[in-house]
Amino acid sequence: MAGLYRQYWRINLLTTLEYRENFLLWAVFTVVYHGSAIAALAIVLTAFPAMNGWTFRDMAFLYGLWMLAHALHNTFFSAVSDVPERIRDGEFDRVLVRPLDALFQVIATPGQLFPDELLLALVFFAFATVYSGVRVDAAFVCLVPPIVVGGALIDLGINLFIATLAFWFVKVDALRWLVLQLEAEFTRYPISIYGRGVRLLLTFAVPFAFMNYFPASYLLNKHDATFAFPPQVGLLGPVIGVAFVLAAYAFWRIGLNRYQGVGH
Amino acid sequence: MLAGRRRFRLEPYVEFAKRAIAREATYRFDVFTGLASFVIRVYLLRAVWVALYAHNAAPPGLPLHAIVTYSTIALLMGLLLDIDQTRALYERLNDGSIATDFMKPISVPLYFFADGTGEVLFHAALIVPGLLLALIFVHIDVPSAGVLAAFGVSFVLGYFVGFFLNFILNCTAFWTLEISAVQLIVTWLTDLLGGQLVPLVLFPAFLAPIMYALPFAAMFSTPLLIYVGAIGPDRYLEVMGVQAFWIVVLGGVATVLWRAGARRVVVQGG
Repeated sequence: MAGLYRQYWRINLLTTLEYRENFLLWAVFTVVYHGSAIAALAIVLTAFPAMNGWTFRDMAFLYGLWMLAHALHNTFFSAVSDVPERIRDGEFDRVLVRPLDALFQVIATPGQLFPDELLLALVFFAFATVYSGVRVDAAFVCLVPPIVVGGALIDLGINLFIATLAFWFVKVDALRWLVLQLEAEFTRYPISIYGRGVRLLLTFAVPFAFMNYFPASYLLNKHDATFAFPPQVGLLGPVIGVAFVLAAYAFWRIGLNRYQGVGH
Repeated sequence: MLAGRRRFRLEPYVEFAKRAIAREATYRFDVFTGLASFVIRVYLLRAVWVALYAHNAAPPGLPLHAIVTYSTIALLMGLLLDIDQTRALYERLNDGSIATDFMKPISVPLYFFADGTGEVLFHAALIVPGLLLALIFVHIDVPSAGVLAAFGVSFVLGYFVGFFLNFILNCTAFWTLEISAVQLIVTWLTDLLGGQLVPLVLFPAFLAPIMYALPFAAMFSTPLLIYVGAIGPDRYLEVMGVQAFWIVVLGGVATVLWRAGARRVVVQGG
């Protein structure tokens, strides 16, 4: 499988080189997408210096942490979100007849995959780290990679849950779109600004708060008045990520076993 | 070309618009998604502004209820203005069916206008429940009838600015077919630079004049500032004049591009 996976990345990179103009265009697209979100934050927090004790410098770090985890997910696992469409087209059946794990095949479906978002996220995260003045010591260097991987796994878990629903419901695009919006827009701010229900939702149901809010609170020494959790909950991201992916995978297996095709 | 010599009739275009409404109605489910997304966003923006106003001094002339009203109306406007109503132009260029459009005894740009307006009118159905929810849950301000009327006029002017911007963008498909990324980029820039996400009055002093000088402000910022009363009746003529100016300029550019593009289709078609 490792050899196959290497081949998959070789094809992706060759495709990218083949369509250089597209690559540049989508790179600009990524810059504008994140750039306009960050610019809006910068403008608002210049006019209003703080939000529940968070300044723009803190929130740049908050955004950088989310962006890195999200970009990591998008770079390696974005093909999972194509599953509903492939089921609808009847194309998914092809995956089932091959002697390889279905999820592996899904993840390793070649396409035009650009690592541009991940590169941009690394650059912005480095900038935000310096800009926010967070203390960069051995602990920081050891903690950030697992936190980011954990965040990417939380993303993958949710993505896989929604994709699996497509075994029962043909159209799940709307749901995916709503959850993605919830993620992209609600992770921009400290979750202490939301009502109790939304905070519980973002912590326990769709745990996006573990992608950036809790770890950033820990690293920036912010006291979290939300749930009165000890600051160390910020380090739980990887555990929650793994648990979430395992749960999603179990659900995926159930869906896969039940799946009969859409009747083509 | 034939169309120019015939007497202009409105009925075909009304029919095109009706067809577009019927076509969009098959995607009814998207309406619910749109509404759910709207409710989520209103919740978010209200939480954000409440938190910001709780710990900072309010900017002059923009109390909390005004900015919540501004952002909610901006979202409702976005439901219509963020639709690319001339996408059909791109699609018909992409699959080549534009060639047969030129043979029909109609004005092709007007066909796109009618089709796009039909699409937007269908989505306008979202406005009613959206507005009701906004009135009940976030208590947005409702200005006097006069201000509402001025807002309505300014919104329609802004709609035309947006129509021509989209038309110009889709016209570039005569020359290059990879434009979907460019379109999303322009939509986001429009939302930011037009003051949909953050009112332009909150932009840093050195940026604000540049923003006001761009056509995007004519789409979102002008009607919105009229609605919340930041632009008073004494300035209505001036700001709507600027909107009209952009309609003329962008309409001119759209016409030039359309003619050049149409000639290209004829040349390529032999």
